[in-house]
Amino acid sequence: MTDIADSATDVVDDVASADDHAPADHGHDDHGGHHTSLGLSNMKLAMWLFLGSECLLFGALISTFLLSKARFITELVAGNPRVIESIPAGLAEEFIEAGTVEPIYDIPFTSGSSFILLMSSLTMVLAHKAVSEDDDLQTKIWLGATALLGSTFMAGQVYEFTVFYREGIEYGTSLYGSAFYTLTGFHGAHVTGGILMLLSLLVLAFRGKLKSNRAETVELVGLYWHFVDIVWVLIFTIVYLIP
Amino acid sequence: MAEQTADVAAAHGHAHDDDHGHHPTERHYWIIFAILAVLTAVEVAWSYLGLEGVSLWLPLLVMMVAKFILVAGEFMHLRFDTKIINGRVFTWAFAASLLLAVAVYFIVFAAFDTVFA
Amino acid sequence: MAMMEEPLALPSGTVARSRPLGAFSRPRETSGLVTWLTTVDHKKIGIMYGAAALFFLIIGGIAALMIRVQLAVPDSEFLSAEFYNQVFTMHGTVMVFLVVMPIGAAFANYLMPLQVGARDVAFPRINAFSFWVFFFGGLMLNTSWFLGGGADGGWFNYAPNNGIAFSPSNGIDFWNIGLFIAGIGSLTGSVNLITTVLNMRAPGMSLMKTPVFTWMTLVTQFLLLLAIPVLTVAQILLASDRLFGANFFNVEQGADPLLWQHLFWIFGHPEVYLMILPAFGIVSEIIPTFSRKPIFGYPFMVFSGIAIGFMGWGVWAHHMFVSGIGPLSVAAFTVATMFIAVPTGVKILNWLATMWGGKIILNTAMLFSIALVIQFTVGGLSGVSHAMAAHDTQQTDTYYIVAHFHYVLFGGAFFGFIGGMYFWWPKAFGYMLSERIGKLQFWLMVIGFNLTFGPMHILGLQGMPRRMQTYSDAHGFNFWNMAATIGSFILGFSTLMILLNAFVSYRKWVAADRPNVGADPWDARTLEWSIQSPAPDHNFDHDPVVTSLDDFWHRKYQKDENGVLRRVATGDELAQPGNGEGVHLPAPSYWPIVLAGSIPIIGYGVIYSLWLVIPGAVLMMASIYGWALEPADDLDIDDHHDDHAKELETVS
Repeated sequence: MTDIADSATDVVDDVASADDHAPADHGHDDHGGHHTSLGLSNMKLAMWLFLGSECLLFGALISTFLLSKARFITELVAGNPRVIESIPAGLAEEFIEAGTVEPIYDIPFTSGSSFILLMSSLTMVLAHKAVSEDDDLQTKIWLGATALLGSTFMAGQVYEFTVFYREGIEYGTSLYGSAFYTLTGFHGAHVTGGILMLLSLLVLAFRGKLKSNRAETVELVGLYWHFVDIVWVLIFTIVYLIP
Repeated sequence: MAEQTADVAAAHGHAHDDDHGHHPTERHYWIIFAILAVLTAVEVAWSYLGLEGVSLWLPLLVMMVAKFILVAGEFMHLRFDTKIINGRVFTWAFAASLLLAVAVYFIVFAAFDTVFA
Repeated sequence: MAMMEEPLALPSGTVARSRPLGAFSRPRETSGLVTWLTTVDHKKIGIMYGAAALFFLIIGGIAALMIRVQLAVPDSEFLSAEFYNQVFTMHGTVMVFLVVMPIGAAFANYLMPLQVGARDVAFPRINAFSFWVFFFGGLMLNTSWFLGGGADGGWFNYAPNNGIAFSPSNGIDFWNIGLFIAGIGSLTGSVNLITTVLNMRAPGMSLMKTPVFTWMTLVTQFLLLLAIPVLTVAQILLASDRLFGANFFNVEQGADPLLWQHLFWIFGHPEVYLMILPAFGIVSEIIPTFSRKPIFGYPFMVFSGIAIGFMGWGVWAHHMFVSGIGPLSVAAFTVATMFIAVPTGVKILNWLATMWGGKIILNTAMLFSIALVIQFTVGGLSGVSHAMAAHDTQQTDTYYIVAHFHYVLFGGAFFGFIGGMYFWWPKAFGYMLSERIGKLQFWLMVIGFNLTFGPMHILGLQGMPRRMQTYSDAHGFNFWNMAATIGSFILGFSTLMILLNAFVSYRKWVAADRPNVGADPWDARTLEWSIQSPAPDHNFDHDPVVTSLDDFWHRKYQKDENGVLRRVATGDELAQPGNGEGVHLPAPSYWPIVLAGSIPIIGYGVIYSLWLVIPGAVLMMASIYGWALEPADDLDIDDHHDDHAKELETVS
């Protein structure tokens, strides 16, 4: 995914035709009278295809989580002693009483994280708007805000993991633990990757290299960022709110 | 910016590739965000009502899908996706993958569910 | 996965102005090994895919022959049971992931951009990265031979057999991580090739004017794009179980090991179609060319390919009929599986109808294509026979299944690939392969292939289970096993004859001092024949303008006033002269191979020691930034390109 404007430009650029009326535009591979078959940017098309692929990835992870949770509860209700043994002392009664794994979630806290991540989508789209309009100050503000909100979300996840770990839900203790940490951890890894991209953009912005001709770059990072946000919308409802 | 738009428009008389030209205002984004925030609040509140079964999860799922569509349509600009001949390419690519994922994993659930076995 | 999520679009040319460029300069070599290591040319990458696949083919082939030697006689002790498990697992894994898939990728890479009239693929450096990451992943998988033994759970490594308890060596970890890494290459490659087909076609070439091979490439890459992540998740779950103590397939914790089967086959069934569809595309180019007729029912050919790709997603559980998935699931998947025979049948009918009434030229490429049609039909029919669940219950895990999938994958896909090599060899290398050796190879392969895998139908129906290390004299399996072993050696030798042919024909060609074969040695139909052979670095001197399907053919043959089709020009007269003046090509780059090389370091680290992950990750991050900061090209051209950015810089 890292191949950028340059090689895309390399490919389509060579035949300088007579109607080459616009200056070569590096951020946009669709220029100079030589256009793509669909009239769409290669980079954007590639990004959307990649996001489509990610749908299958997160779909499998969410499904794994749901199946694990369902089987965990079923076994629990059936009173399988081995499963009950695997639950940390003190929590077993609570689990069985509720017939669900719900009690451990701190819903108000996670709602706060979700709100923060949603907010970061807003700042991301504002950053894209700012960079398209060559508004340097706002570009920096909104990119920085997005990275900050993303980091806050990650800090929240680390905190949540720590709390669960202290409660005795370790990665290897139970099927449920494995599934929960894998799903949310994978999402967290995606957020972290996004933060790194945002910080790279921010460095560019501060060096004065992030202008409207690079707006598509920001838009691509934005697409990725919004996608990660969307995945959290699903995880929040499916994992946290619906028992 | 204008250059790009003009360039593309010249290259494809029919197509409005560029969402740049139709970008909504900042205010629009804030409104979308407000709706998203309200939806999230309602979701959380709904989960505290103590409901069970369909009345619990169906509204939650509906709100989830609504948030999904809002982010994908407005923030990811799919609402302004270029229409090429007979379809919007990005929307189509994304939605097809998404529907495939939903269908395939739904079948897995069905196969696991003892009701169907 | 982390590395693919980096659409780090740092502008090229940011460091271009600081001379000298040091680590960021592009490689300048024009010949020798470095050009191959740093190339971003889709043709060189395609050739490297093919060479790597042939290399792995030898490994997988040796494993296959070891299996056949072990099974030649009853109660054989040639291989221990433990080693036999590794050999058949690695044979299957290597052949599927490191031979058939990359040969498909080789053809797609080399031909598809030529067929759509493009200068290169959409993202040339990602293309190089895709190859190297596949190659390193494959090498890493095969290092397991020397590091405690290969994977031993069968190529689909069912849970819970794939757990630490049943497979304590690191073999399955290598299987897991190696294929995961190779999968990264498949994923990035698929994004790249789909973008190329959709977005880089020559002026006038609408999708319904693209050649069938290009269409099949598109379908194949969509299957890869959407199937690979499912395997990735299965592998992540398994790696978590084996290496980090998770419980996804731990029955004691209430897990259901069927989850592995579902995830594996959701990937695995599209996988089998993405192995066969490139070969379908190849014969769809060869058969019309040597029948001297256009392909019969082009739209049906295209849509049946799409239908196969689409329906391939709804049939995976037919691999699981005996796993207890319940009667409704079994019934539904039986019906879906039978339906998929329909679009496949459409294709077979169309090939036959293309040949019907044509002036058939029976050269080697055509012979291989006809063999594909016949042998794939045999394999397809045995496939339909175990689409029926009741039938499948008898056949599953017997040699009947082994016979079936070798008929479709070897008799189908691989025969198509060999045919494709004979067909496009002059385009890629500029000389013709010997027809005499080719026809000898063909007949030896047909005999060897059918002698090896034909008897397995009988053995399977007699009840010989697959994956058994040996059998008793009293079972009555002796005769056909010996026949299959003899066949396998004929097959092994004849497969290698393609290399022999390449070598001998080249020597003869050079000795006779013959010039490069012209642009269009077969009087063929598609755009790749309208440029010189071997294809020049820059592909097309100028963009071809396309007005119809098989445009090149229609420029050679036109109807006269009486409506009779006459040749108006030869291919060589119409061909572009190969003058690349003024053409600016994407510059080679070190970063794809460096970035790809950093990933197996992380892989070994995950298996052996997490400390090793750190240097791997550092190298990975460094190469991602190196990649992003690399100047677009050498300085003059870069300046020319970047004038817009420079303008802005002076303004600010």
